Amino acid sequence: MATAIGETRPTARRGPGLAGRIYKHRTDYLYILPALIVMFVVIGYPVYYVVELSFFKTPPSLAMSEKIFVGVDNYSRILQAKSFHEVTMNTVVWTVFSTLFAFILGFGAALALDRAFFLRGPLRGALLIPFVISAVAGSFVWRWMYNSDIGVIGAFLVELGITDRPLNFLDNTQTVLASLIVVNVWREFPFAMIMMLAGLQTVPDELHRAAKMDGASVIQRFFHVTMPHLKSVTLITVLLLTVNNLNSFIIPWIMTGGGPANASDIWITAIYQLAFGRVRFGIASAYSVILFLVMMVLGYYYVRIMTRGDERRAE
Amino acid sequence: MSASEQAAAAPALARTARRKPRRMGGWDWTRWIFLTLLLIYATAPIVWMFLTSIKGQFAALQYPPEWIPKEPTLEHYIRLLSPQEETGREFLRYGLNSLWVSTATTVIGVVIAVPAAYAFSRFRFPGRKLLFYSVLVRNMFPAVVFLIPLFIMMRWLRLVNTSWSLILTYLTFGLPLSIWLLKGFYDNIPVQLEQAARIDGATRFQAFIRVVMPLSTPGIIATAIYSFILAWNEYVYALTFLNDKSKLTLPVGLERFFAQYTTNWPGLMAAAFVMSVPVVILFLILQKYFVRALTEGAVKS
Repeated sequence: MATAIGETRPTARRGPGLAGRIYKHRTDYLYILPALIVMFVVIGYPVYYVVELSFFKTPPSLAMSEKIFVGVDNYSRILQAKSFHEVTMNTVVWTVFSTLFAFILGFGAALALDRAFFLRGPLRGALLIPFVISAVAGSFVWRWMYNSDIGVIGAFLVELGITDRPLNFLDNTQTVLASLIVVNVWREFPFAMIMMLAGLQTVPDELHRAAKMDGASVIQRFFHVTMPHLKSVTLITVLLLTVNNLNSFIIPWIMTGGGPANASDIWITAIYQLAFGRVRFGIASAYSVILFLVMMVLGYYYVRIMTRGDERRAE
Repeated sequence: MSASEQAAAAPALARTARRKPRRMGGWDWTRWIFLTLLLIYATAPIVWMFLTSIKGQFAALQYPPEWIPKEPTLEHYIRLLSPQEETGREFLRYGLNSLWVSTATTVIGVVIAVPAAYAFSRFRFPGRKLLFYSVLVRNMFPAVVFLIPLFIMMRWLRLVNTSWSLILTYLTFGLPLSIWLLKGFYDNIPVQLEQAARIDGATRFQAFIRVVMPLSTPGIIATAIYSFILAWNEYVYALTFLNDKSKLTLPVGLERFFAQYTTNWPGLMAAAFVMSVPVVILFLILQKYFVRALTEGAVKS
């Protein structure tokens, strides 16, 4: 067990220097070596390269030997552009509301499914479908349902007497973002549901029973027994939803392509458009780096929450 | 009340209510109304996808829509799946491309991830934390950040328009995710089992292969299928790296298919339905494992 399983931290601290410790653990690295090589090639190098490119003006031919160093010019141009502010506003609205509603619906579903009852399994399975189905297929069916002339949602609202003619959901700058958020929430609430369900299962039954005996109401039990137990899983779920929403591409891209008039353009679709529509890799890279920095901040908190229990385990 | 008792007592809610003094309280009503509405929200698009796919071209474009198709037809499915026709050939080719890319990504990813995840779970080598954190953080990076440099890399390597460009790039999300999920499974296998094997004279590597591997098979299967589904559904890289019509995968092929026959909504819905069914079935069968895999780590306290 010399290098592996039984080792405790104090030994490691008192042991030889870094080089010595690396030498002692040399066979450990063989296990991760293939992963390290692949990760370096497909992750490490691209990250470095995108940062490098962000300081250059790139030619439309994509012959990178002809790129011109422009310092932070790309960054200052992005930050000053009027469209950047619009797109950022869209991104904030999109991320905040998608996360909020996906979490509320998912948590509600988790609470409703927490107790065993008839049909619980099939019901949970059915509610998970939007999450597993291909986002491309989902986006197409919603685009079809939102169709301004013959879409089923417009027709349904007319049938109910809410509107007198079918609404134009996607070609209207006022409604397009909200319409897309509905689709995004549809796709994401099941994720919040399973996370929160797993969290609810860690709440001890005895606590509930004890609180009930003391005369606590359903609402009191929710806030004083359930919620305190769900703190960390709530944090992680909200964090992952936020990250996912900041990174969404498929739904806005397929349904509207960021239009009409950029009303549904968010950071990712804007970056894609800059890079592969207008072939301006330098500026698009700078844009990516900005997004990347936001992600790093979120990533820091994610790692902190996820590894909290890690130190105690398996040592 | 246990789940089985519940199921036995459930056939008629009304009967249960009559037999027992307990009646549906306000919270029960809230629960059922909420779940019903949510169920409609979740499944209506899928139902509509299917209903549209069995309508004729003309019937699908009526206003107000035919809620239930009057003359259901399987013509779109037959056209999609028959190798004699151009459409069918294309669709099947996209399907095979998707299958190849997803399978190759999954196999390569899992084979590389298994030893790495094991090492992260069990060994305490210097740099372990830093490396593992970078694996974790990678799960948060947007694909687009990698898209630009990987696109240029693929051009250098002359891999644009080949399935290898996708297999390589899918490892950017498949590998870190597999390492993370598998580490969770290994963390749950008691160390004592390996220690016992070591005492019986097995080397560390033998203990890993003979004791740990068999125990982690469910975890490996769940991870593999999860990674397969992600690759199967991937869109951004495929959209960017592939132009050649014969190389497309289903998610991007679907779009071309649609653009080609501009107003063929029923055909598109049929294609989307065929593409989604295998994945949904796979998921529902293995639900238990996925739920565990996804929530692993988040609820460990």
